Amino acid sequence: MRHRSLDCVVGLAAAFALVGPALADETCQSPYLPRLTGQEDFVYVWTLGIEGLGDGSDKLVTVGANPARRDYGKVVSSVSVGGRHEAHHAGFTDDRRQLWAGGLDDSRIFVFDVHSDPAHPKLVRTIEDFAQRSGGVVGPHTFYALPGRMLITGLSNAKDWGGRTALVEVNNEGEFIRTLWMPEGAEYGYDARVKPERNRLLTSSFTGHANYMRKLGELMGDALAMKKFGNTMVVWDFHARKPLQTLAVPGAPLEIRWALRPEHDYAFTSTALTSKLWGIFGKGDGSYEAVEIGDVGDPSKTPLPVDISLSADDRFLFVDSFMDGTVRIYDVSEPRKARLVHERVIGPQLNMVSQSWDGKRLYFTSSLLANWDGTGHEDAQFLKAFGWDGKALSAAFEIDFRKQALGRPHIMNLASAGS
Amino acid sequence: MARLAIALVWLLAAAAASAHGGSHARSAASVPVAAEPADEGAPSLAYELPVAGSYELPPILRVEDHALLGSDGERARILALAPGQLAIVSFLYLGCRDPGGCPLALATLVRLDRALAQRGDLASRVRLVSVSFDPRHDRPEDLARLRAGLAPRADWRFFTAEGEADLAPVLADFGQDLDVIPGEGGGTPALGHVLKVFLVDADGNVRNVYSTGFLDHRLVLLDVETLVMEE
Repeated sequence: MRHRSLDCVVGLAAAFALVGPALADETCQSPYLPRLTGQEDFVYVWTLGIEGLGDGSDKLVTVGANPARRDYGKVVSSVSVGGRHEAHHAGFTDDRRQLWAGGLDDSRIFVFDVHSDPAHPKLVRTIEDFAQRSGGVVGPHTFYALPGRMLITGLSNAKDWGGRTALVEVNNEGEFIRTLWMPEGAEYGYDARVKPERNRLLTSSFTGHANYMRKLGELMGDALAMKKFGNTMVVWDFHARKPLQTLAVPGAPLEIRWALRPEHDYAFTSTALTSKLWGIFGKGDGSYEAVEIGDVGDPSKTPLPVDISLSADDRFLFVDSFMDGTVRIYDVSEPRKARLVHERVIGPQLNMVSQSWDGKRLYFTSSLLANWDGTGHEDAQFLKAFGWDGKALSAAFEIDFRKQALGRPHIMNLASAGS
Repeated sequence: MARLAIALVWLLAAAAASAHGGSHARSAASVPVAAEPADEGAPSLAYELPVAGSYELPPILRVEDHALLGSDGERARILALAPGQLAIVSFLYLGCRDPGGCPLALATLVRLDRALAQRGDLASRVRLVSVSFDPRHDRPEDLARLRAGLAPRADWRFFTAEGEADLAPVLADFGQDLDVIPGEGGGTPALGHVLKVFLVDADGNVRNVYSTGFLDHRLVLLDVETLVMEE
């Protein structure tokens, strides 16, 4: 059931003052969304099409996630967008009525109405001119709700298809507001997350279109291309949208998770190429330091950590790694010293992880990028649901996305039937 | 009776916000003081505010100047801004049963009202506009009572609509969501909405939207100063 801060969702400002820590939605969402605190009914899975499999198109797949419903563990609906666009990330608007989903290849953005009938999302708008309207930004990645608008990170640019990129703001109607190019010396982009209580925006860095659209094996054999990955994170004054600091975080720092308790002035990330966990810690004067806080598996074997998820109490950090298909769960109660408490092989090319607000349910998908999947391991495609009791994961259900002719499942967003 | 109790809660919240502002309106000419009384009772900011005018507030969307029912019972444009003026537009409703919701938002607006009244250079440039989500229950006389209880010191106007159909285009224009949530056991429905407060310029451009963590009178004031410096 959806809890929109009781009957008056003046909500999160109120929650901020009275409830304290519970600011964000299912732990990884923008803090500007109404929070889904109870049992989710659906998982929306933004899925890449596979040529020759089903209709071969990218699609938004809705999966039942509530054990009390008859559609639990089943595909409820699927909306194809026509063609393959390198479906990757997606995010809700600030009122949770729309889900915006991006294609990293041709930079199209697909807007779904998830409010009118949450079980059957409907494609209502396609933004086809993102690159032109943004002044040449390519590869819309993170869709992060801000009041009245979306903050979209780019991965690349239309000039040289390298890693130089920008942050783009678009209002909820799809009209462009502004483009903020990444600062000199930290030109690459990937994720963007806001800590409202500190007025800080943190961004991370990956690589450009020329790299992420190449076959992984070929790319890894190209020493020059492998140098073209981001090694920086940028701290911004969020209200002013001004870069304040560039932090050295070598090896492509990807997903960012700010601690959720207001008094916790730190964030986590993982580096894909160096397999490290990093903490970004506030120094008390508005500036931050980047500190290595642990390894992910054996870095010499390049496990390639991809997605991370932090529990609402800031205690557990779930870290998925692609090459060994393993989730590692760290106790980060002492945030400068990540302590591995559990690990489990979920399946080949494990990628994204999402958790419910109460931290009791975890969802995992396979698939990183169309040309990177199946490199050195089986090209399996799945969504798997697990329970988490604070000590171990227990399997709940799974859906084989190949067997059901759906495609490569990537990011997941949780939803309520009462959305 | 219940609605009276709710209104009382609202007024208590507002009173708490303005308790340190004194019982009499300060002269608009009495200019800023180092420690603004309007700040008292507000949550402390854990960061340094940017400098006014050092950043940009590009237009986010454009809104029309809709006509609604004022708390005086007369139909009027809700913005009615002269060139160079700005409006802070909020949507609220008196029947809100969440003590940490609307009353808290209202407390922030009261702080903004008090802070504006202390700024002779800004007071005449800014209008607060509060529109009810609940035209069926919040009639002009109800809003007039609320306004009287709040005793605004700056320019603060309250509006409601003739009915839902009259309000709908205003909400749609601002991109403000509203869900009617059925009451349990057939009880009174509640109104669900995400908090959004809009800073609008005289051309109808929304220049900022405030929500979680950023609905703070000091930030709104800073943006007002920034836009005034644009001219």
